[in-house]
Amino acid sequence: MKYRVIGLAGTFSALLILSGCASSPGGIYVPIGGERRAPAPPPPSTSTEPTGSDEAPVWRKSEIPDEPEPSPEAGESASPSYRDSGESLSPAALSLVREAESYLRQGNTSAAIAHLERAQRIAPRSAEVYFKLSEAYVASDRLGAAEQFTLKGLSVAGSDTHLQRSGWRLLADIRRARGNIAGADQAEARASAL
Amino acid sequence: MKNNRTSSGSKKKSSRKSSRNGRRPWFWRLFLRVAVIGLVLLAGWMVYLDAVITDRFEGRRFEVPSRVFARPLELYDGAGISSGALERELELAGFRKGDGNKPGSYRRNGGHFLISTRGFRFPDGDEPRRRLSLNIYGDRIQDFSVRAGDPAAIVRLEPAQIGGIYPAHKEDRILVQLDQVPALLPATLMAVEDRNFYDHVGIAPLSIARAMLANIRAGEVVQGGSTLTQQLVKNFFLTRKQTLVRKGNEALMSILLELHYDKGDILETYLNEVYLGQAGTRSINGFGLASQFYFGESLRDLGVHQIALLVGMVKGPSYYNPRRHPERATARRNLVISEMEEAGLIEPVRAAQARGRPLGVSERPSYSENRYPAYIDLVRRHLARDYREEDLRSEGLRIFTTLNPAIQYAAEFAVSNTLPRLASGETRKALEAALVVTAKDSGEVLALVGGRDPQFAGFNRALDASRPIGSLVKPFVYLSALSRPDRYTLITPLQDKSFVLEFDDGQRWQPKNYDEKERGEIPLHTALSHSYNLPTVRLGLDVGVDVVRETLQAFGVTSPISPYPSMLLGAVSMNPVTVAQMYQGLATSGFNTPLRTIREVTDAGGEPLSRYSLEVDQVADPAAVHLVQYAMQETMREGTGKSAYYTVPDELALAGKTGTTDDGRDSWFAGFSGDLLAVAWVGRDDNGPTSLTGASGALPVWSRFMAQIPQHGFSPVMPDGVNYHWVDSERQALTDEYCDNARLVPFIAGSEPTREVSCSGALQRRIQGWFEGLFR
Repeated sequence: MKYRVIGLAGTFSALLILSGCASSPGGIYVPIGGERRAPAPPPPSTSTEPTGSDEAPVWRKSEIPDEPEPSPEAGESASPSYRDSGESLSPAALSLVREAESYLRQGNTSAAIAHLERAQRIAPRSAEVYFKLSEAYVASDRLGAAEQFTLKGLSVAGSDTHLQRSGWRLLADIRRARGNIAGADQAEARASAL
Repeated sequence: MKNNRTSSGSKKKSSRKSSRNGRRPWFWRLFLRVAVIGLVLLAGWMVYLDAVITDRFEGRRFEVPSRVFARPLELYDGAGISSGALERELELAGFRKGDGNKPGSYRRNGGHFLISTRGFRFPDGDEPRRRLSLNIYGDRIQDFSVRAGDPAAIVRLEPAQIGGIYPAHKEDRILVQLDQVPALLPATLMAVEDRNFYDHVGIAPLSIARAMLANIRAGEVVQGGSTLTQQLVKNFFLTRKQTLVRKGNEALMSILLELHYDKGDILETYLNEVYLGQAGTRSINGFGLASQFYFGESLRDLGVHQIALLVGMVKGPSYYNPRRHPERATARRNLVISEMEEAGLIEPVRAAQARGRPLGVSERPSYSENRYPAYIDLVRRHLARDYREEDLRSEGLRIFTTLNPAIQYAAEFAVSNTLPRLASGETRKALEAALVVTAKDSGEVLALVGGRDPQFAGFNRALDASRPIGSLVKPFVYLSALSRPDRYTLITPLQDKSFVLEFDDGQRWQPKNYDEKERGEIPLHTALSHSYNLPTVRLGLDVGVDVVRETLQAFGVTSPISPYPSMLLGAVSMNPVTVAQMYQGLATSGFNTPLRTIREVTDAGGEPLSRYSLEVDQVADPAAVHLVQYAMQETMREGTGKSAYYTVPDELALAGKTGTTDDGRDSWFAGFSGDLLAVAWVGRDDNGPTSLTGASGALPVWSRFMAQIPQHGFSPVMPDGVNYHWVDSERQALTDEYCDNARLVPFIAGSEPTREVSCSGALQRRIQGWFEGLFR
């Protein structure tokens, strides 16, 4: 059983190479006011009470409506946001995943996990990183954690059927290895339905 | 008995005899006896001293404090950081403005940075020295490249030290080994303090004689002829008081030390022991730490002039303190440089160059203790699970935390900047606050503020203020309901009408809305986004208080939760950190992620001792959580949280929830963006009333914080099994996108309405009415 799960690793590596190169960083919020938005921190030994008078008060108390007051312009402002798919890997994250892969090949799972966690910090919405973490936990025989990371990866795989299918298959294998046959069949069915 | 008598008899006899034969033999005998006794005592004393020495030298010689590091800054193309924040990070990590070529220096030209790293040994591998070039444009790193050193797409700066856990005697040091020390340092030390170090046996009688002569002439102790060994013995085993007995002990112990240990061992211990300065209550010991403390540089990177200054300071660290007395320090340094030249350690040209250089001292020590007391408090509580306090104080552990200095700074600023504007008079003085910031998907605690004065190491409200959470509980009531798509969707109508609950013991409970109004029938998403109490309690009772309680427990609440219906309105107490833990699962689509402040702990040599890994645990259906996230986003756009957008620009998508308890005793806000989760609390330590609500107290602090950080907006990935539909939520029917009441709402597959209403009819009627008016 375990052999099959590990065997799956190869397909993920290929998949990462494919999707990793086509990445472009998503939109990022840039605070207004640039450098002047907060005064520089004072020397550590002195008080840190920021006294910057250049800090324009954007907000005044009188502007705050009472908590339960419904908004008159309801519906006019931006509506709740969602996205169809997660984010692809940036070159930086991809380089960490590659290093992790080489540690995995050497059997150094803890170094692999440390590198994947670094990748996860800079690419927290990328299913590939979570699937790789799952793979590393399979290699270190911690199948419970592996299953959770697969589920986490699936939760950000979105509409990418390729990623979805790989994730559900990985999950089916892990569940089977853990003796959860019904759960494995369920995951397999999800993969086939895609 | 007999023998005794005989002997005593003979004694008397002999004494009589000796007195008869004159004083000399008696005197010599006594002298001999005293000498023998003296020698025996001396031998005993030396055995004792020897035990003292070997005991200290064989065991652990130094109690080394543990060092606490911030998270290292990751530099790569696309990383979000402003130029100002990068410069602050560099300074915190001990980098100095310079040419950008010398390790530990950087050069900034507008948004362009040239940085030369020093290299650092991380628990998961070495980060070698590199020269980096990058541009910052729109708060993002671009054109990142490695100019010299191992090529890499991502590089970690060395982490800033943010604190230490010190031994009781408050001595701080960084241990160095003799072979890591530049050879010029011990050579200079010997040239200045002890020229015959490699030849003497621990003491140098000639020097002592010379010093004694000078002391006798002066009538007091003016000169010391101490060898390095004697100085070490003095610092290591004896008091600083200069008495003759102490001097004797010092000499004896020095000889014993030299008998037991080789010169290299003694020299290395000296280099680590010597006192070189003071920072508050903490003493700076050893050259390793002194180099960091005065120059912000590693010993191996010091120049001739810097080595000369440190060696010169051995004579009197406070008298020659280069920060306080730069002239004295320069004179002393130049004297040492001359000694170096005289001893042939450096060429005259280099000596002249060194004399011409400024002191090269950094403006301030690279870090000061207690900069982040609330955060270190949480770190220590986490460490206490696996480490003994005495080990933390003495074993020189290296603790790698998750603190993000830029975010911590923004959090402190948000609290201290906003709090004074929230109230007036007495309440203003009494207002306190706490703020917790975590990385949304990893559970790493990035910043922690425990009160209005972030420098004050006292009551840590983020951890120790356990307060009723009010409406912060509501998302979990709605999640419990929405997990049953057969019964509830976001557009299920709820009754906003008052009612009375009568308990078996005759008690009555009649909840009210905050504005005391009733609105009749409203859709479920509106009830949550506007935080209405009546429909929430009705919904909670319908789902079952026990079910809601189980949801809360699944999301990590371990404190006791009341089984009474008042729990549905937040009659359950938690501290801000626990609230952050509970909201982590909501922010990450149903995955509990344990909050962490520590990534790794290593021993003094960098060998890993513990790793605290990322963990995830699915506790709720991502689809149901997605629906709750929808309503929490609506809260920010249309509901109780919308005043956040007075501070935060429209394009930053956020989700969150306000919380208020009776009489404004607690004002809460918990919410998240794409990258960050933050929980703010505002209230009084005496639990007194304020005029604040969640929206007017905690939310301004929260939004002030969020507005400062470059980050991604909240835009969750639509989970499997969720579909978005245009609906008229008042009429619980599908409708067309262009209709007036149309709203794009997510549904768990199969739970969407089947009935369709069209607004085309309404449009027709409107046109008709217009024509009628025209021709009337």
